[in-house]
Order: sequence, then structure tokens, then C-alpha cells
Amino acid sequence: MTQLVVKGIGKTYADGTEALRGVDIHVGTGEIVAILGGSGCGKTTLLRLIAGLDRASTGTIAVDGVALNGTHAAISAVFQEPRLLPWLTTEANIAFGGRRLAAAERQARAASLLARVGLAGHGARWPRELSGGQQQRIAIARALIGHPGVLLLDEPFSALDPFTRTSLHDLLLDLWRELRPTVVMVTHDIEEAVVLADRIVVMRPHPGRVQETLPVDLPRPRDRLAPAFDLTKRNVLRAINRSLAEAPSGHGAAAGGGVSPWV
Amino acid sequence: MRRGAWVVGLIIPAGLAIVWEIAVRAGLAPGRLMPPPSRLFQTAWALARSGELQTHVVATMARVLLGFAIGAAAGTLLGMLNGASAWAMRLLDPSIQALRAIPSIAWVPLFILWLGIFETSKLALIALGVFFPVYLGILSAIRSVDRKLIEVGRVFGLSRTGIALRITWPAVMPTWIASLRTGLGLGFMFVVAAELMGASEGLGYLLLDGQQMGRADSILVAMIIFAVLGKISDGVLVALSRPVLRWQDTNRIRL
Ligand SMILES: Nc1ncnc2c1ncn2[C@@H]1O[C@H](COP(=O)(O)OP(=O)(O)OP(=O)(O)O)[C@@H](O)[C@H]1O
Ligand SMILES: [Mg+2]
Repeated sequence: MTQLVVKGIGKTYADGTEALRGVDIHVGTGEIVAILGGSGCGKTTLLRLIAGLDRASTGTIAVDGVALNGTHAAISAVFQEPRLLPWLTTEANIAFGGRRLAAAERQARAASLLARVGLAGHGARWPRELSGGQQQRIAIARALIGHPGVLLLDEPFSALDPFTRTSLHDLLLDLWRELRPTVVMVTHDIEEAVVLADRIVVMRPHPGRVQETLPVDLPRPRDRLAPAFDLTKRNVLRAINRSLAEAPSGHGAAAGGGVSPWV
Repeated sequence: MRRGAWVVGLIIPAGLAIVWEIAVRAGLAPGRLMPPPSRLFQTAWALARSGELQTHVVATMARVLLGFAIGAAAGTLLGMLNGASAWAMRLLDPSIQALRAIPSIAWVPLFILWLGIFETSKLALIALGVFFPVYLGILSAIRSVDRKLIEVGRVFGLSRTGIALRITWPAVMPTWIASLRTGLGLGFMFVVAAELMGASEGLGYLLLDGQQMGRADSILVAMIIFAVLGKISDGVLVALSRPVLRWQDTNRIRL
């Protein structure tokens, strides 16, 4: 049960690129927050800071009130690519995420998660023998084996076809219902955000900031075909348009006050 | 490849051997400078019967293996040190690269002067030859380990040592083994050089002796045995490394 508070986070890279400025995000226990924004608005940067892989230039990140300093036992991640260790079998890859568990529990949980992500019987295979979607399932299982309080996902499904992606949305939600981690997920996909998130944070680039935060008040399980679903999607699109309209010119600002060509 | 398909590769050497045997027997070729296969068998058999061949093989293999062990251990340790520490890299690598620019055989006179003409100078030469490919191999492998996999280790709570053991080391393994194989090949090359510069036993001695006695047959027997020993040693190295490289088997490559 973990609360994540991101406060006043700014990040300027060594080469002078200001990737983030003054980002405040508060993620409640067991909540799913989706971060939506165009390319280059600092989404990956933000996740890396939360994961402790990079250091923020300003601001603090706190888990349950304790400020982070580097990586943290309660935080785990799924990257955009599966990033499985090629020299470990699929089951050993899952177990790798549970290094802090006792050996017996780790084995048992790795086996049960393997089945849980639909790959029972594939435990002895090598990662390169799995499809991209299967690999990403293993990566999700690896991220969840250690009972993380916070699960970070950086466009985890963007390389997958719509069929696989939809089935992985369902899988992720099932696991979330069961384990209740606090989830921060970066995505480019509006529908994905509306299917999964309790709240959607829309970001704006140059430098990366929060444009606005939209609650998604749809009952779960969510019906992608329901009119209310469409309504929410349209609200998100409007927020994205506003973010484009306010972007400084030369950075993809839509001419004429915010009518993006793709609405 | 189908089972037994390797037999095709035997056609040319076996064919040439048969043709040569017939040519010499029919008196079409003299066979003194290039003895026919039957002659080589006789020579090898005689050498084996007298126990001389075993002495040479043991002497040569002992030099290669010991020199290889020293050179490979030094190359691996220094490569790991310089791969792990930027400071050690800045301090040591320039000197090592400078030494590498010297052709290894050029060390022979100095080694003899320093270490005498007996075993020590031979081992030093072989170890030196093995050292460089192993050092360069492991160093470049460590430096090119995928940063993304290192990050996986960090996210899941590995310490620096944990990352070195559980991520860097397995990632480096294939290149390390490839460099050991190159090193072993060079070890055989340098054992010949070492034994040619003076030895009372060893296959290199057999080569030199054959040259001085005008016996092409013992030269050829020594050459063939070098080939066989080299192939067997490499095969043993590959077999030993197979269990740890199973994940890399390239039967199924995805795009
Ligand atoms: N290591 C780095 N050094 C310098 N600049 C960087 C670095 N990483 C990212 N940036 C810059 O920071 C900005 C934000 O990058 P980031 O990768 O966080 O964007 P993103 O929102 O994840 O984009 P995408 O949707 O394309 O993944 C970009 O302008 C990028 O060029
Ligand atoms: Mg990104």
C-alpha cells in the first residue's frame, strides 16, 4: 500500500536540455495514473527519476512520505522493451525480480506468476524463443513478483499489435486487482489510458510540464464501445489540443488556436 | 546439416592423399620431399613405438597449456580490472596498448637474455601471445554491455557487485570464450616459435630436427599432429563452454 508524491520535479540534462520543470503528481495508494503526452515531453525522464535511475535537478519524490534517494525496494518497472536477461530462462527471469524474497517463496511465486501470465509450460525456454508479447508478459511478471508498492510502466505495449495489446491490458488489470500496486504508466495511446487509468495526466513539452489532470470516472470493467468511454476519450483529446495550442510556436503548435488535424 | 554430411569435406584431402600415394608408387613422382601417406604413417608409428612421439606431444602440450593458463588469467584479470575501473583503465591501458604494438616474436631475444633458453622464456612468449586477445576481448565486451540490462539490475535492487556477477559477467561470457579460443590458437602458434628457437623436445623440435636431417616425413608428421592437437584443444574448450552458452545457441534467430 504505497503512496507516491512527486513534488516540484525538474530535470535538466548535462547537455542543457530542460526535460522537466516543476512537475507535481500525487498518486494515491493502489491508484492507476496514466501519463499522456507527445514525444519529447519528458515522460520517460519522469519515470526514470521515480525509478531512481537518474537524479532530479530540483524537487523531491517520496514514497509513503519518505524521500527517495536512488532505487527503492518498493518500486519496480516494466520498460518499453522487455529487457529480459537472455541468459536466464523465462522462469528465472521472473524470479530475478524477486531477489528480496526468500528462495522458496521466490520459486513458488515465479511458477505461479508464469501461469498467471498465460505461459505455464514455457518456463524453461529462453527469452529469444518467445514472441514480443510473450516477452512483455514475462517482464510484467518479473516486475510484480517482489510485491512492489509502485509499478512503473513506460509505454510497455507500444510495440505490440492491437490484439496482443488489448489482451495485455486485461492481464495487467487482473494482476492489479489482485495485487493492488500503485501504478504510473506512460503511454501514447489515448484509448489505453482511458481503459486502464483512474486519472490521466496530460503533459506538455519544452520543457515538460503537467498540462492538466483528468479523472476517469468509468466503472470497471470498462467497455471500450460504451458512449461514456468515447466521451472520456474526447475530453482527453481536448486536453491534448489545449496542450498543443499552448506550446510555443515552432514546437508543433496548431495554427488557429488549437484545432489539431487529428480530431 | 544432415547427419554424416560432413563426410563431403573429406573428399578433397582423402582424394589428394590417394592420388599422391598412387603417383609415388607408380614412380611418377619421387616422394622424397613430399612423402606419400603410407610413409607418414610408418614414420608416425615408429615415433610412437619408441615413445618419442609421446614425449614431444607432452612437452608441447604442457608448454601450451601452462602458457595459455598464465596468459589467459592475466588477460582476464587485467581486462576485468580495466573494465570495472575507469581509473585503472586510464592508468594501465595506454601501456598495454603500447606493448601490443610490438610484434610478440620480437620479444624472443630479450626473453632469452632475461630468462635463459629453457622453459621460462618459452612460457613467457606463449603467455604473452595469449594475453593480448583475451585482454582486448574481455575489455571490449565489458565496455559494450547493454546499459539497458544494467538498469534492470539496478531497478531490481542489485548492488554493484551483484550487477558485475549477475549481469556483466554472463553478458561478457560469449566474447570471453571466443577470445580464449583465439588465445589458444595463438598459444599453438607461439609454442612453435618458442620451440624453434631451441628445444630438446617438443613437436617444434621435431620440425627443426626434420629440417636439419632432411626428413620431410617427420616434419609433416609434426605438422599434422599440431593440427590435431589444436583442433582437439579447441573442441575441449568449446565443449566446456557449451553449458554456459546454451542460451546463445543460434538455432532460432528472430528479426
Ligand atoms: N540522456 C539524455 N541526455 C540529454 N537529453 C535527453 C536525455 N534523455 C532525454 N533527453 C531529452 O529530454 C527530453 C525528454 O525526453 P524523454 O525521453 O523523457 O521524452 P518522452 O516524453 O519519453 O518521449 P517519447 O514519447 O518519444 O518516448 C527530450 O528533449 C530528449 O531529447
Ligand atoms: Mg519515452
